[in-house]
Amino acid sequence: MTALTSHLKLLEAESIHIFREAAAQFRAPVLLYSIGKDSTVLLHLARKAFWPAKPPFPLLHVDTTWKFHDMIAFRDKTVRELGLDLIVHTNHEGLARNINPFDHPPSVYTDVMKTVALRQALDAGGFDAAFGGARRDEEGSRAKERVFSFRASGHRWEPRRQRPEMWQLLNGRLGKGETVRVFPLSNWTEGDVWRYIALEKLPVVPLYFADLRPVVARDGQLIMVDDERMRLEPGEVPQMRKVRFRTLGCWPLTAAIDSDASDIDAVVEETLASKLSERAGRLIDHDTAGAMEMKKREGYF
Amino acid sequence: MNLAALEEAVRPELDMALAAKTGAMLRLLTCGSVDDGKSTLIGRLLWDAAGVTEDQRAAIALASQNRAINGEKIDFSLLLDGLQAEREQGITIDIAWRYFETPDRRYVIIDSPGHEQYTRNMATGASHADIAILLIDARSGVKRQTRRHAAICDLVGIKKVVLAVNKMDLIDWSEAGYRAIEADFRALAQSFGFAEIVSIPVAALTGDNVVHRSSRMPWYSGPTLLDHLESVDPKVEPLDAPFRLPVQLVLRAYDDFRGYAGTVASGTVNVGDRIVDARSGLGATLNRIATMDGDRASASKGDAVTLVLDTDLDISRGAVLSELARRPVNADVIEARLVWLSETPFDPEAGYLLRTATDLTPVTSMSVSALVDFETLAASPAHACGVNDIADCRILLGRPTALDLFRDLPLTGNFVLVSAIDGATVAGGVITWAQAGAAAVGDNVLVLNRALLAHGICADLGDSPADNVEFQRRAQQVALLLRSAGIPVLIKL
Repeated sequence: MTALTSHLKLLEAESIHIFREAAAQFRAPVLLYSIGKDSTVLLHLARKAFWPAKPPFPLLHVDTTWKFHDMIAFRDKTVRELGLDLIVHTNHEGLARNINPFDHPPSVYTDVMKTVALRQALDAGGFDAAFGGARRDEEGSRAKERVFSFRASGHRWEPRRQRPEMWQLLNGRLGKGETVRVFPLSNWTEGDVWRYIALEKLPVVPLYFADLRPVVARDGQLIMVDDERMRLEPGEVPQMRKVRFRTLGCWPLTAAIDSDASDIDAVVEETLASKLSERAGRLIDHDTAGAMEMKKREGYF
Repeated sequence: MNLAALEEAVRPELDMALAAKTGAMLRLLTCGSVDDGKSTLIGRLLWDAAGVTEDQRAAIALASQNRAINGEKIDFSLLLDGLQAEREQGITIDIAWRYFETPDRRYVIIDSPGHEQYTRNMATGASHADIAILLIDARSGVKRQTRRHAAICDLVGIKKVVLAVNKMDLIDWSEAGYRAIEADFRALAQSFGFAEIVSIPVAALTGDNVVHRSSRMPWYSGPTLLDHLESVDPKVEPLDAPFRLPVQLVLRAYDDFRGYAGTVASGTVNVGDRIVDARSGLGATLNRIATMDGDRASASKGDAVTLVLDTDLDISRGAVLSELARRPVNADVIEARLVWLSETPFDPEAGYLLRTATDLTPVTSMSVSALVDFETLAASPAHACGVNDIADCRILLGRPTALDLFRDLPLTGNFVLVSAIDGATVAGGVITWAQAGAAAVGDNVLVLNRALLAHGICADLGDSPADNVEFQRRAQQVALLLRSAGIPVLIKL
C-alpha cells in the first residue's frame, strides 16, 4: 500500500458534501451506475452521505447489451445485497435496428446505444439531476467540468454557458428546461479511486484483476472474446493471455492490458506506476481531436 | 559523514513530519496577465514532476509540431488547454483542473484565464485555492491584470501568494530586474490581506527554478517553485476557531433516528457539547456524531458528518449549528464586496436570491455603493456594476439568516447571488458587515430619507449626477457611523 492516503479522507468528505447538496436541491435525482470502479466508489460515497438512511434516489444502468457478463452479474449482486432500487434501460429502437459495435463505427454505436439511451432513460424517469462518476483527470474537456454541470433542454452541454462555482457553494436552481449532471468525483484521480477501493475494501468486478482470458490482438489493442457474438477476422484465433482491464465499458470496444496484477494491492501499484493514461484503452475517445467534447455536447455524460 | 549524506539519512523522517504538519492536499491557483506563461509554467511543473503519462507526452509532442512557438520542441501549454476553441485560439478561456502528486502531497492545480474578459472565471478558480502563484513577465513587470488578479485573490480569501517572475531568460537572468519587480509587487500588495508572499525567479520554458534548481541565477538562494509548494502550509485558520455546521439536510431512519447532516465549516465539536441553532436561539446537547464508519467523539473543519442531538430543535436545511459562546449573526441586512459574474449587469429591479452555506434567502432590495478601481485599488462611489466588476453593496433580506463575517469565518461568510428568474449565478461575494433586525420596520429603526439629509449634511449638493453619487455616498457613511454606534438604520432616498 502506498503512503499517500491521508488526502483520501479530504476527497471523501468533499464528495459526501456534493451528494448532500444535490439531494437537498433537486426534485428527482438518479445515480448513473455503470458498474465499473468509479461507479463502485460513487455508490459507496452515496451510501456514506445518507447513512443510516438509504440513498434517496434510484440507480440507473444504461445497458447496451454489450457489457461484459461479469459486469452484469456484479451489478445484480451489488443491488441485491445492498437492497437498492435499480432501473435498467436499453435503447430498444437501436436494438431493433441492430446497431452494434461490429457493424457500426464507434461514434454511431456510442451515440445510439449510450448517449441516446441515456437521454431516453432520463426523460422517461423525469429526472432533473443525474450523478455520474466522471473525473476531471480523465480527459481535456472533462478537466473543465463543473461539479453541477448544467444541460440545456435536450441534455445539451454548452461549455460557454456553465455556471461559475465559487467556494463550496453549489447553486442548483434550475432554469426552464434545464437538467444537471452532478460529478462528486470531480477532483479524484484514477490512482485515488484505486487507493480508496483498497482502503475501504470495496468489492469490484473481477475483470479488473489479472487472469487468463481469451483475447485477440487487433491494431495493438487486446480485445477479449466475451461471448459468441465476437466476429473474428480471417486467421484470428483467440489466445489465452493473462490480462486485466483498467476501465470497463462495452466489451468489443474496451481493450485489456497484459498484467500480472491479480489483487488490489498489485493493481494500486501498477496504476500509480503506469506510463499510459487510462483512456488509452477506450477506443471511442480517439476518433477525432476533441472527440469527448463533441460527445458531451450531444448529451453524453 | 558529509552533510549531503546526513540529509539523505534523516530525510524520510523529515518528510513524514512535514506531511503530518502541512496537510495532504494543496490546491494552487495560477494567475497573471495573458501571455505571461501560466499554462507553460504548469505544463512544465507537470512534465518535470512526472505528472504526464506517455501517451499524453506523445500526443503533446505531435500537436506541438502544428504550432511553432518560440521554436521549442514541446508546447507545454497544450497539456492544459482542453477545449477546442482554446486549442484553436491558443488562449485559456475556462478554468482547467489538473492533478499530480509527489510522495508527500497531492496537488490540485487550478489554471485560470489571463484575459480581462474572463476575470470572472479567474475569480471562480481562485475561490478554491489555498495558495496562488501569480505570474509576472520579467520583461514587462506589474501590469493592470496583475493588480486585478491580486485584488481578486485577496477578495476570495487567499492568504498565501507566490510571485513567480517568469521569462528570466529574456532579461539575461538579471538580479536587478528581478528585484525591481519584486519590490513593485510587495509595495502594491500592502493594500491586501496576504499573510505570506514568497517570490521566485523562474523560466518556465527552460524549467529553471520550477522543479530543478537553476544554475544560471547563482544570486538566488531561495527555494525552487516545487520545493516551496512541498513545504507550504495550506491551513490558515486559528486552532480555536468557533464551531459552525451549516445543516445540509435532515436524515431520518428507523423509527427514531433524526440527524443533521453537514460539513463542519469551522472549529471542532465534541460529543457532550452544548450547541445552538443560531436562527431560533434554541440549544441542545450533542449526543452522537454518526458516520457509516462508526460514531466519532469529535468532528473538525472539513469533516462531513451527521449530528444527533438530545432534543429535537425542529430545524431544517439552512440552519447553522454553532457553539454557544461565539454565535453567527442572525442577519437580515448585510454589506458585502462582490465580483459580478454575469453578462447581465446588476439591476436593482431584478429579483435575486442569496445562497449562503446551505440557505437560500430572498433579497428584498439591493444597492451598489462603490466600485473598486484596479489602478488605484480604491473604492469609489457608484450605483451600477457589470461583468468582471468588483463592487461594494448593501443587501436587505426577506428574512434573517445565520451569517458570519468573511474575514472571521470564510465558509459561513461567503455567498453567491442567484437570479430569481433563470437560476443563474450572477455574483459571488464576501460579507463585510451584517446586522440583525436593521431591516425590520419598527420603532427602533431610524429611516434616513432624502429630506433629512438634504437639509443638513447634503445641503451643498444639487441635482447633477455627480452630486447624486455624492449624496448616496454620504448617506452610506452616515448609516455606517450610526450602525457602528448600535443604531439600526434604513436608507430610503
